[in-house]
Amino acid sequence: MKSTYFINFMMGMYIFIFFAYLFGPLIIMSITAFNSAEFPSISPWECFSFRWFNEGKIAYDGQHLAGLLSDWRLHDGIISSLIIGAGVVSLSVPIGMAAAIVLTQVRSQLRDIYYSISIMPVLFPGVIIGISTVVLWDRIAGLGGDGFISDVGRNGIFLTILAQTCFISTYCFLIFVARLQRFDQTQEEAALDLGATQTQVFFKILVPYLMPAIASAAVIAFLFSFENYNTTVFSILSDQTLTTVIASKVRLGISPALSALALTIIALTVIAAVTYEILRRRSEKKYAQSQEIFVKEKAASGRINKEYKAGFKVPKGIVAILLILVFATYAATQIVKNDLYGQSCIDAADQEKKSKFLEQLQTLESNELTEEELSGGSLGGTEDYGDIFGDPSLFQDFGGFD
Amino acid sequence: MSADVELNNVSVTFGSFYAAKSVNVKINGGEFFSFLGPSGCGKTTLLRAISGFQDPSEGSVLIDNKDMSGIGPNKRPTSLIFQNLALFPLMSVSENIAFSLEVRGVSKGDRQKRANELLELIALEGQGEKKVHQLSGGQKQRVAIARALAVEPKVLLLDEPLSALDLKLRQRMRTELREIQKRVNITFIYITHDQGEALTMSDRIAVMNEGEIEQIGPCDEVYNNPLTPFVATFVGENNPLFGKVKEINQNKIKIETPDGDFVSTMNENKKLNIGDEAIAFVRPESLFLPRDGDSFDNLIDVNIESFEFEGNIKNFYATLKSGTKIKFSIPNAIDTSLISSGTKLQLGFESTKSSILPKAQLAID
Repeated sequence: MKSTYFINFMMGMYIFIFFAYLFGPLIIMSITAFNSAEFPSISPWECFSFRWFNEGKIAYDGQHLAGLLSDWRLHDGIISSLIIGAGVVSLSVPIGMAAAIVLTQVRSQLRDIYYSISIMPVLFPGVIIGISTVVLWDRIAGLGGDGFISDVGRNGIFLTILAQTCFISTYCFLIFVARLQRFDQTQEEAALDLGATQTQVFFKILVPYLMPAIASAAVIAFLFSFENYNTTVFSILSDQTLTTVIASKVRLGISPALSALALTIIALTVIAAVTYEILRRRSEKKYAQSQEIFVKEKAASGRINKEYKAGFKVPKGIVAILLILVFATYAATQIVKNDLYGQSCIDAADQEKKSKFLEQLQTLESNELTEEELSGGSLGGTEDYGDIFGDPSLFQDFGGFD
Repeated sequence: MSADVELNNVSVTFGSFYAAKSVNVKINGGEFFSFLGPSGCGKTTLLRAISGFQDPSEGSVLIDNKDMSGIGPNKRPTSLIFQNLALFPLMSVSENIAFSLEVRGVSKGDRQKRANELLELIALEGQGEKKVHQLSGGQKQRVAIARALAVEPKVLLLDEPLSALDLKLRQRMRTELREIQKRVNITFIYITHDQGEALTMSDRIAVMNEGEIEQIGPCDEVYNNPLTPFVATFVGENNPLFGKVKEINQNKIKIETPDGDFVSTMNENKKLNIGDEAIAFVRPESLFLPRDGDSFDNLIDVNIESFEFEGNIKNFYATLKSGTKIKFSIPNAIDTSLISSGTKLQLGFESTKSSILPKAQLAID
């Protein structure tokens, strides 16, 4: 039986590595949100703090590093992302559904062509969709002079909704196609035969059947829209979404406020998933209870051998939960023991950094360069290198660059 | 409230393929009528033409003497029970049954009342709140019937609704269907490839082959006096004996085969002349072991090959002199312990119990 243990061990290792690869970065990033240092890091660990969730900090040199609560650009970005997400959901779900229903009606070779055309937007680079939307609507906005059309055509949120809908509706289309493939079309015929009109068939038979697909298409459309960058960055024009705000922050150097945001999003996602799972299990349990009588009857008739029991079961993930608890307790005790939390720790760290900063400033001042060194020194910084590109008057012929 | 259904010269074509070809049939109000035929013979197409899902390429469908062309399935006084039943899985049993009332804008109270009435009719009182998947096969069947009856259609169309059930349940549902038909007294048009179903339930049947009707008539007439070799072999079992017409008297016809001459009563509309190729048919249960004093119109020598025990009867498989294989059955009540493989026997059958038909396609293989 040695080999079985070995295989099980290797399997466990594999699963551990896989999940470490998957969730490692997320966990590290989440931890950095609680470090008071200006740059997201775990080591060196400064102090345990919630400042990046709140107000952020004003650095010793006067620079304001906003926290999650006080960063208005992030807030604006989140709000426009939410508006765009809602707009994309309300456009792409009906479009995807309509396209999928049309596909079920098309028979013959046209079907393949129609399908290919329908899924094409997924294959286009998002950048191209973004740019082409802007180009088109710029032309349209230019047609009518000032007024509604011109305003709408140059509204970044409106354009982003349209641009994202272009390809997100295709994902919705694929979800609906998958669901419709399992639809029993005789149900439509049965409803028609029982006197329903086509509209009634749609709302009483088809839509209830598609409800799960509508829900998952809406969720997926929203998530795709929320995280989209490459289309949005062009079509958003002068507005900003969450992704473009984050991208612009990365250019300037990221702060742990982003880690705080990431952790918040992760927490919301986990809560949503857990809630969904709990609700699902509850309804499943309800169904099981309705079947219980049936099962008990069968058990009484001897058809089911085992005694039927419905009771509490230990959740299988208990080991993982215990491990996380142990790790968290250990980290907490370490932080408390080394006094790495609270205002006093932060003040001390700030003090230390400030003195270091002043020290460096002093060093710089004492090493200040002379006039000569600043103007190029012995390298001859004042010399004219204009003619290394050839004739210096060449560009002046057409007025030069401005 | 029942209605006549008339198919006038109805043809349905898909491209160059005839799914149904010049079908003429008049089904009387209140009748239990079956279309019987092998799969792919066009019977479902005919049913779809009656219910309005398929427009006939030629001819017309008349229900209650009204031409139905251009009238959609939701406007016809027919209800269709689908082969897979097509119950709505997301609705409860009551909602399923009352669906046709719901789409007509009947109030909720009235709908519930009618649903309860129908649940009583199908002996499922108090089970209206169940979901469809909680029902057994036979119960689903009955719910489908109740759903179709909720609007009081004049014609009920059934597309092989029993084919998915097991044998015992199928037999019980046959009786039940027949009883429901008598109680509601509307026209039932039933489609099946199972001749047992058709014969037990129907007033009249139409046997179809390759899109055409081969014979229409009451069940016993179709069974006893088939008009074509196809009907003779499709409805029940039959032993074909190939030969040539030798003699024709007023009402008797004699055929010459390699295994001897056989006589049969002539029934009308058979265009046979002396010398024509023909087939004599005799059913397994019409072949008898002659006892002392018995005299039969026809005698035939057989060599027993094998037999099988079916319960109420024993089936024997035998070869004739020419090598033709035939089957005959003997009730279990008769002692057949002396017959085993290799036994040579002489069997007899009456001329009234066999038919001689012009040579044509058989239903077997």
